[in-house]
Amino acid sequence: MSATQPQLTVGDVSVGDDLPIMAKNASRAQLFLYSSASFNPHRIHYDRDYARFEGHADVLVHGPLQGAWLTQFVTDWCGPRGRLTGVTWQNRASALPEVDLEFHGRVTAVDSSTGEVSLEVWEQTSAGEILMPGMATVRLPQ
Amino acid sequence: MKNAAMTESLIPPETMNLVGQRLAEPVTVRIDAREAQRYACAVGDLNPVYFDEEAALSAGYRTLAVPPTFVSHAPVAPRPMEELRPDGLYQGSDRLRLRVDRIMFGGEEWDFLEPVCVGDDITSEVRLAALDEKTGSKGPFVRTVRETTYTNQDDVVVARSRQIGIAR
Repeated sequence: MSATQPQLTVGDVSVGDDLPIMAKNASRAQLFLYSSASFNPHRIHYDRDYARFEGHADVLVHGPLQGAWLTQFVTDWCGPRGRLTGVTWQNRASALPEVDLEFHGRVTAVDSSTGEVSLEVWEQTSAGEILMPGMATVRLPQ
Repeated sequence: MKNAAMTESLIPPETMNLVGQRLAEPVTVRIDAREAQRYACAVGDLNPVYFDEEAALSAGYRTLAVPPTFVSHAPVAPRPMEELRPDGLYQGSDRLRLRVDRIMFGGEEWDFLEPVCVGDDITSEVRLAALDEKTGSKGPFVRTVRETTYTNQDDVVVARSRQIGIAR
């Protein structure tokens, strides 16, 4: 299993490289599972009437779930021996279930002596609306 | 002409004294494989280093690793549902007693300093790092920053997070 996981090295990446896009589309079942796995009973994630009462179009995808997707996006790219050392994100606009979402990223700095790589990352809808801008840092093997 | 309602702060004066203070007693939990794997499945992150010990070892971990942000969910206290508020959040989750109706997650800033693995004993300690009132397109809101430090059984700080809350 592990032998099939490709490994990126710091020599493989250059400033300006784009990361492969990761697609997500949260089902209502996934929102339920995430609420459950994180013991989060906030009603805006499962009760559409209540979410509308608060002014939302529908139930909302959890901010931390989108953050966890962002970490997945980066760790999938950097391979099993890469390490995510930092990530920041802003939940700027709401994400809704059953909507196609995309994670994008670009290399902004590479330190080949330490293996430290900086990334600009963001989540957007397939129509191009940015929902969640962020940054990440990883350490790649030499 | 000034609107009287605009002059009342959403932040009670005594709440400002909490800035820099610990918001709760530290909590120590053991990182559990099943719980972390349920979380990974709920995220849809099936990275073998979370599920297959051999994959974790060959990736350089001591044993099974857990998804990076799982460490913030592991310490969540089990509480009876009689303590839920109408919005589904637990009572007392707003120790800040802000004069607001709605709380939204605004983002997060993480430093991951050392890997967290199954079997680790992680202590989480949360402080109110910042609190300020702002005015946006939808009116006044309060931005809260809760800073949590995660320390393992060897007294090594493994992660820090600054969680941004938007309350209005």
